[in-house]
This record gives sequence, structure tokens and C-alpha cells, in this order.
Amino acid sequence: MTNADITVLLVDDDEMIRECIVAYLEDEGFTVHGAVSGEEALGMMAELEPSVCISDMRLPGMNGESFICKAHELCPATRYMLHTGMLYSLSDELRALGMRADDVLLKPIHDLSRLVNKIRQSAIVGGRL
Amino acid sequence: MPPKSTEIFFKSESRYRMLVENSCDIIFSLDRDGYYVYISPAWKVLLGHDPSEVAGHDFREFIHPEDILRSESFIAAAIQTNSAQEVTYRIHHADGSWRWHTSRGTPHVDESGALTVIGMAHDVTERLRIEEMMTQTEKMIMISGMAAGMAHEINNPLGAILQHAQNIERRVSADIPANWKAAAEVGVSLDLVRAYLQQRGIFDFIGHIRNAGMKASGIISNMLHFSRRNDSTEAEHVDLSALIDRSLELAGTDYDMKKKYDFRHIELEREYAAGLPRIPMIVAEIEQVLLNIIKNAAQAMAGFESPRSPRITLRTRLSGRFIVIEIEDNGPGMDEFTRLRIFEPFFTTKEVGIGTGLGLSVAYAIVTKGHHGSIEVKSRVGEGSTFVVTLPLQGRA
Repeated sequence: MTNADITVLLVDDDEMIRECIVAYLEDEGFTVHGAVSGEEALGMMAELEPSVCISDMRLPGMNGESFICKAHELCPATRYMLHTGMLYSLSDELRALGMRADDVLLKPIHDLSRLVNKIRQSAIVGGRL
Repeated sequence: MPPKSTEIFFKSESRYRMLVENSCDIIFSLDRDGYYVYISPAWKVLLGHDPSEVAGHDFREFIHPEDILRSESFIAAAIQTNSAQEVTYRIHHADGSWRWHTSRGTPHVDESGALTVIGMAHDVTERLRIEEMMTQTEKMIMISGMAAGMAHEINNPLGAILQHAQNIERRVSADIPANWKAAAEVGVSLDLVRAYLQQRGIFDFIGHIRNAGMKASGIISNMLHFSRRNDSTEAEHVDLSALIDRSLELAGTDYDMKKKYDFRHIELEREYAAGLPRIPMIVAEIEQVLLNIIKNAAQAMAGFESPRSPRITLRTRLSGRFIVIEIEDNGPGMDEFTRLRIFEPFFTTKEVGIGTGLGLSVAYAIVTKGHHGSIEVKSRVGEGSTFVVTLPLQGRA
């Protein structure tokens, strides 16, 4: 499996953050798409069927939690991660979807190479490839 | 009581005497120069001195130097306006501590024509302490809201700094084929670009940007810990003595501490109460509280020239429905200004770069918000400080 086989969808309204994470993941060879809101991302889910979807918590419109709940209905096999600047414990809803404490990415991510490993592992464990 | 009997009651010298001598508050009489003409027996109970050490003495001998002016004005105002006046001041206790008293006094001319101010002094130390804690709590709630907001706003730009620094490293890396391709497209050799960046120290600069960003991120993370409202992490019932010992061990191995102060030179005294009940607490957090307090003590003692050898005493005891942990040092202590602000985020007396001023505010948040306890500090300049952490037996419930 190569990184190019792994599709990642990054949902963040902050262009600066989207840009730097997308750039890094693209350099690593992943197929990366960005969305600025939960609504936009939901529109892309069915077609992309991403292996991994990383969503910011604070988004305009629906927040990251609600987005993941809705996105999960469309793509239950996707591995979801929540990117947040606050200390955060997973809600019961997200736990019920199979998310774990290490699916919460605390801002700022110091070392994106760790995220790369995480994405690869998730894609493998997710059994999509 | 009918007027007749009231008159009889107050005419009776013995009844007056009984009232005065049994009052819980101190009843005193001061001459216009400030010498005690009379003090009631309550003085001995409240302040510990023998009446003979006080009567005939200047009140200034007992009042805190900073409060003398205010107290002198109180006497002068009572005499000048011929009316009751009130003043609050610190007064010396025989055990060496200061107590806060509020006095209400009125001028009085006796049969011989001598002018005195007769007053009643009430100990308000406990009330002031509670007021201080309430002010502290309100202030902390306000600050923690600000801290959370700030932390959140700073995290994104900080993320961009850290991650773009990493992107720059990646885009000049020899490991990525796309870099070779892009270099060839513009007609340069990636090897030469890398050699140039190396020679001009650019890789080091990028490394510094990342390190600085990570340091800032550590501060933000501490601020978030300070401001968090609650945490769902499960509390454990643990043996407090073992937990304190582990915190001491952590302090001994703390790298930052080793650099600045050798913990092994500090004498550690443990006075743990036996058989304390195990109370629910989040172990890592209480360890952090103790570690921060111990580090603070060690750092304070490091810069303090003293004939006494540095010592930290750790005590535990049961007090009603609470467990009390005391961490006492014999370092330089702190003045009242510092004592009142010590738990505020970013308040630090250390040199720039030594401390962030967050350690004790994080400790405060963990104890008060996370564990529904309280944390206080008592201190005397030149003698040392004692941090008192009180945790409820029923835990965070």
C-alpha cells in the first residue's frame, strides 16, 4: 500500500492550518482534500470515501462533533480524528462511533510526521486497503 | 427592662466590671499619647500577652508598622470629632504572628478630667481570610476565562508556525523526489541548495523556530490546564504518603531543577499522619501540584543566603472532613504583595526565563476546580513559606 492510495479529508475553516497540513501530507504522497466547513465536507464524503477524515472542532455552522456524527452515517468505514485547541474528552456519541482518546489531536500538532504514522496506521487498521 | 432597673443595672460597678472582664472582645482604654491605660482579660486570650506586658505600654509596640499611621489617625479623629471611630489593623500575637483586629473607639473624659479613648477590639483575621479567598476565587475565574480564550486563539497561528517550519524542512529535504524534480525544473541542483542552506545556518534557524514554537505551545498547554473547568478523568483512591514520596522523587530527577539547583542539598522531613483514609484524586494532577510547590520552594531557597541549611518539611493530617497537606520551606519567604498574587497566572518573582509564572496557578486550578479543595500560603519574610493544600475526604463529588 502506498500513501497515494490513502485519501485524507481535512476539514478546517482556518486557511493557514489547512494549507500547512495539506502541504505536508501531500509531500508525503497522500491524496489530500480540504473543506472549510462541515457542510462542504459532507458534500464530499460520499464521492471521496476518505480513509481518514480530520476535522477541526470549532467550525462555522455545525461543529466538528456534529459533523463527524453525520459523516459517519455516510462513510462508517472512515477513520475520524478531531483536531482541537481545547482540552477535550470524547463525547459519548463519538465513543459510540468507535473513536478513541488518541483520535483527538491536540493543537498545535508539534510534529506532523507523527500524524503521518497515525494516518497510515488508521488506514491499515480500518481495513480499507 | 423598665427604666428604673436599667439605671440600677448600670450604676452597679460590679456589673460593669463583669461585662468588661467576660467580654470575648478586648476592651481597652488608650490615653491621648497612645499608651494603654487599661486592657480587659480578653487580650490574654486573643493575643497571648500577659496584661502586665501591655498596660502602660505604647500601643505602637504591638501594631504592625504599616498600620501605625492609620491607628494614630483613629485616636486623633475620635478625640477631634468627639465621636466613635473604627479602624482595622494588624496586631502582634505573643506567638509571633499577626492578627487582624477591628476596633471601635469613643473618647471619654473621666471624673478626674483625664481624656482617654475607650474601645473594643474584635479579631477579624478569619473573616478577612475568607474574604481574601473569595476575592481570589473570583479573580481566578475571570483570569481562567481569559486564559482559555487566549490559548485557543494562539493555538492556530502557533500550529501554522510549527507546521510550516516543518514543511520548509520537508521541501528542501533530499528524501522527497518531488523536491529534485522541482529543483531541476528551475535549473538548480538540490544538493547545492542544501549545501547553501547548511552553510548559512538556515537549517539551524528553522530548528530554532520549531523549538521556540514548542516552548510557546508548552505555555499554552499549561494555560489550558489552568483554565479547564472540569475533567472527566477517573479519580483513584490512593495512599497519600506514597504519592508525596513519588512527587519528591520526581522533583529530584527533574532536569530543569538539576540545572539550577541541586535537590540533593535540601533536607527533606516527612511528618505523615499514619492511617489516613484513601481519598479519591487524580494522581497525576496532585503529583503535579506537589511537584510545582516543591520546585517553587527549591528555587526560592536556591537564591537565598541563609545560615540555616535548606529544608522542606512535608506534613499530612486529618482535619474534620478534610485531609491537609503542608509543604513548608525555610527559604526567604515572601512579602504580603507576593503572597496575595502568587497563584495568578504569569505572576513570577523569578528572573525572566526561569519560570513562566504558571506552575502555581496550575496547582491552584487543579486543587480548587479539579478536586474541590483549597490551597493557601502562609509566609514570613526571612523565615520561609508554608503551602497548605486541603482536600475533601469525599473527593470531587
